[in-house]
Amino acid sequence: MSIPIDLVNRYPWLPSLKLFYPDLGDKTPSEFISDIFSKSDSKQISDRVLLIFESAFNNLEGIPDSKNENLSIDVYLLLNILIYALNNKLITNRIANLYSKNAYSKMERDNSESDLYDICKDLELRVNFYDPPIQFGSKILKTNREKLETNFSINFIDYLKLASNLRDEYRKLAHNAVQNGYVYLQNRNLIRLIQEYVRNKILIKETENKVSLNSFLDNAFKIQEFKELYEKIHIIWTKRKEDFEFTFKFDNTGKTDIMKLFPPCVLEILKKAKEGQNLVHHERLFIVWFLLALDYPVEKVVDVFSTLPDFDRDKTNYQVEYAKKKKYTPYQCSTLQSIGLCMKEKYKDKLCLEGYGKALEKKKLKHPLFYVQTKQYRDAKEEKVLKNKAKKELEESQKQNG
Amino acid sequence: MADTKYLKRLFQAYYQEKQSDLPEVSNFNLREFGLIPWEKKVFMKRHMSFDNLDVLGNYLIADPPRHLYSSGSLYLQPDASNMNSKEYQGCDFIIDIDVDHFYTPCKDEHDLWTCKDCGEEGTGMPKRCPKCSGSKFTKVSWVCDQCLDVAKNEITKLIFNFLTPDFGIDEKNLKIAFSGHRGYHLKIEGEDLRKLSSEERREIVDYVTGKNINFEILGLNEKASTIYGLLKDNIGWSQKIMEKIEKLLRKPTNQIESLLLDKNHFGFNSNVVTSFINYKNDFLKLITKGERNVWAIEGFGITNWKKFLRGIVQQVGVEIDEPVSIDIHRLIRYPGSLHGKTGFKVQEIKLNELAAFNPLDESNEKLDPIVFKSKNKMKLEIIENKLPLTKIKGESFGPYVKGEIIEVPHHIAVFLLCKEVAKTI
Repeated sequence: MSIPIDLVNRYPWLPSLKLFYPDLGDKTPSEFISDIFSKSDSKQISDRVLLIFESAFNNLEGIPDSKNENLSIDVYLLLNILIYALNNKLITNRIANLYSKNAYSKMERDNSESDLYDICKDLELRVNFYDPPIQFGSKILKTNREKLETNFSINFIDYLKLASNLRDEYRKLAHNAVQNGYVYLQNRNLIRLIQEYVRNKILIKETENKVSLNSFLDNAFKIQEFKELYEKIHIIWTKRKEDFEFTFKFDNTGKTDIMKLFPPCVLEILKKAKEGQNLVHHERLFIVWFLLALDYPVEKVVDVFSTLPDFDRDKTNYQVEYAKKKKYTPYQCSTLQSIGLCMKEKYKDKLCLEGYGKALEKKKLKHPLFYVQTKQYRDAKEEKVLKNKAKKELEESQKQNG
Repeated sequence: MADTKYLKRLFQAYYQEKQSDLPEVSNFNLREFGLIPWEKKVFMKRHMSFDNLDVLGNYLIADPPRHLYSSGSLYLQPDASNMNSKEYQGCDFIIDIDVDHFYTPCKDEHDLWTCKDCGEEGTGMPKRCPKCSGSKFTKVSWVCDQCLDVAKNEITKLIFNFLTPDFGIDEKNLKIAFSGHRGYHLKIEGEDLRKLSSEERREIVDYVTGKNINFEILGLNEKASTIYGLLKDNIGWSQKIMEKIEKLLRKPTNQIESLLLDKNHFGFNSNVVTSFINYKNDFLKLITKGERNVWAIEGFGITNWKKFLRGIVQQVGVEIDEPVSIDIHRLIRYPGSLHGKTGFKVQEIKLNELAAFNPLDESNEKLDPIVFKSKNKMKLEIIENKLPLTKIKGESFGPYVKGEIIEVPHHIAVFLLCKEVAKTI
C-alpha cells in the first residue's frame, strides 16, 4: 500500500521512506553526508540536528519546533548517522526518547485519523479503522454516562509487541478491551504505541567493531562540516556527561559489593538507568523505595536518576526526600510480577526461581528485601566457613612447626 | 526390574503395531526431542532430533522410552547441545492444564499423602501436615472421571471463553491432546504467535488466568465513601466478571451462601454472607439495568468487594500451568506416545470431539487412550501402603492395601505397574 509522500516527509521514520527515496539505500553514509553538506540548506539541517542533541542533553521534553518540514528526512538520517558515529548508549537512549516523544506530540497535534491509519499500515500493523467510531465500553461519572469510543483496534500480537516493554498497568492486556483478536484502543493510546516503535527504531546497539567505526569516522571527517558538527556535539556531551553518568558503588558495610546482593528486578532497573533508558513510573517508585529501605543516602538515590532523559536534580531530590519521610515499603514480589517488573525468568535467578531453605523444604521468596537479607546471610555463612578453614589450617601448620 | 522390562517390551510392541498411526507434528525436523528411558537413575535425554517420522518410529521400536517429548519450539539445529547453538526460530503457544496444580474436590477422595516427618496420613492436597506442620510428603496421586472432567471443563473454558472470542484463534490452529494422565495439552500453532517473547506470552497467560488483574483499572473505586463498580458493557474482563456475577446472583440462595462461605472460593464469614444475601436482589437489578454503578451492600467496603471480585475472577479464569506457557524451550509429550506413569496414550482430539471425549471410558476406539485393554487377567501384589479406588472402563477396582494379592484385567495391571504401586507375582 502506498502512502502519501507528504506523510513520509513529516514522519521520516516510516518504512516507506525507502520507497520514495530509493537512491538512499545505494549511498554509503559518507556519500550521504557529503550530499547533505553540499545542499543549500545544509546549515539549517546541521543546526536542527545540533538543537536535537542539545535538547536531549538538557533534558527537554520536546524539540523546539521547526517550521521547515522539508528538512525532516535529512535531519532524521543525519541524526541516525551521528548516533552511530558517537557510539554511546547513553546518548542513543536520550535521542531515542526525545525524538520519539516528539513524534508522539506531532501525531497528536496533527490529529488526523486517516494519517494515523496510513502510518499503521506503513508499519505493517494490523489495525481496523472504524468511521464512525465504535463503542467498546462506557464510564459512569455520578449520573453521567460517557461512551468509550475509538476509531481503531489493533491485532493483539502487534499490540503485545509494542506494549509489553511499557510495563504500564493500564497497558496490560487484561485491562484492555480485547475481542476477536483485536485490542480496542483510543487514538492517543495507539499513538503512544507508535512512539514506542519510533524509539525502538532509533535504538541501535553500540557497535563493537571499532575498526569499521574508525574507518567510517576517518572518511566522514573528511567532510569538514560533519566533523565540526560531531565535535560540537562531543564537546557539549563532555561538559554534561558528568551529570548523567553515575557509578553505583554503595557500600554500607565496607566489605561486600552490594550489587551482588540485589535481586534481578533491581539490577534490571539499575542497568536501564545506567544506559540512560527511560524508566516507567513503577520502576522509579520501586527503586527509590528499595534503596531507601536499605538506608541509602538520598543524594546517592538521586544519582541513579541522573542518566534519565528527563532528569531534574531538584525535583528528584524533593521526591526522594518525600519518599524517605513517608517510609514507603518497596513492592513485594507478587506486585512486581503483576506490573511486569519481576525479572527472575529473564535473569534465570536461582534464588528467585527456586526459593531458599533446605533442598526439600524450599520456600518461595516473597519480597525483594528478603532477597538481600538471604544473600547477606549466605555470604556471612560462607565467610565464616572460610575463616574457620583458614584458622584450622593455621593451627595445623603451627602444630607441625612445633 | 522384571516389571520394568515387561512394561518396556509392552511399549515396544505398541510402537511396533502402531508405528503407522503415530501422528507427525508440524515442522517435524525442526523440533527438539527428549525422552526419559526406563532405566532408573537415567534422567531425561534432550537435544535429539529425527529427520522424519519413520526414523522416530524405528527408534521407538528399537529402544522404547518411558516418556517421549518434543519441543514447542522450532530450531534450525534442534540437536545442538546448548540452547544458544540451536538457532531458535520461534515457539508455538503451549498450554498445559493439569489437575496436579489445582484443587479438585475428588482429590479429597483419591489423592493420598503420608507426612515424612510424623507419619500422619490423609487425603487431598495439603500444603503442610495438619499434625506437625511438616511440608514433606510421600504422595499417591490418582486419576478419576471427576478430575478429568474438571480439566476438560478448564480447557473448554479456555477455548470458548478466551481463545476464540477474545483472541480470534482459528480452530484449525488448535492442537488438543489428552496428556495420558491428569490433564490436557493445547498447542496453538501460527507464525505470529511463534514470534512472541516470554514476556509477551506472560501477558496472554495473565489474561486467560485473570491473575494480576487490578480492579481499580477496571473501574472499581471509592469516592467519598461511595463505591463505584464495574460495568458490563466494557469489553474484556469487566464484561466477563459482570456476566459471572449476574449468573451467581441468579442461583438459588442456598447455593450462593455456600459458595460465599467456601474457603476454596470466596471465603467470607457468615455475617458478610447474610448481608450479601439480603441485598442480592437489589444488586442484581442494579447490574442488569446497568444505568448506575454504585455498589452498596452493608458490610461491603472496598476490601470485601475486592475479595468478592477475586472470587469471581477465580471462577472465570482458567487454571493453567503458567511456566509451561511462558517458557519457550519446554518439551511437551509427543502425541500418540505412551505416558510411562499410566500406560495411557497421549491422545490427540479434535475440538468437535472434545465434549464427548471420556478418557477413562472412551467408546470411540480411535480416540481411546487405554491401549492395553484386555479381558485377560494378571496377578499382582500391592506394594504401596494404601491405594484408592480405580475406575477405568466402567469397572471399579480397589481400594487396596499393601500386601494384597489381586487379579485384575491387563489394562488395570499395566496402570498399577506404571504407577509403581504393584508388582507382578
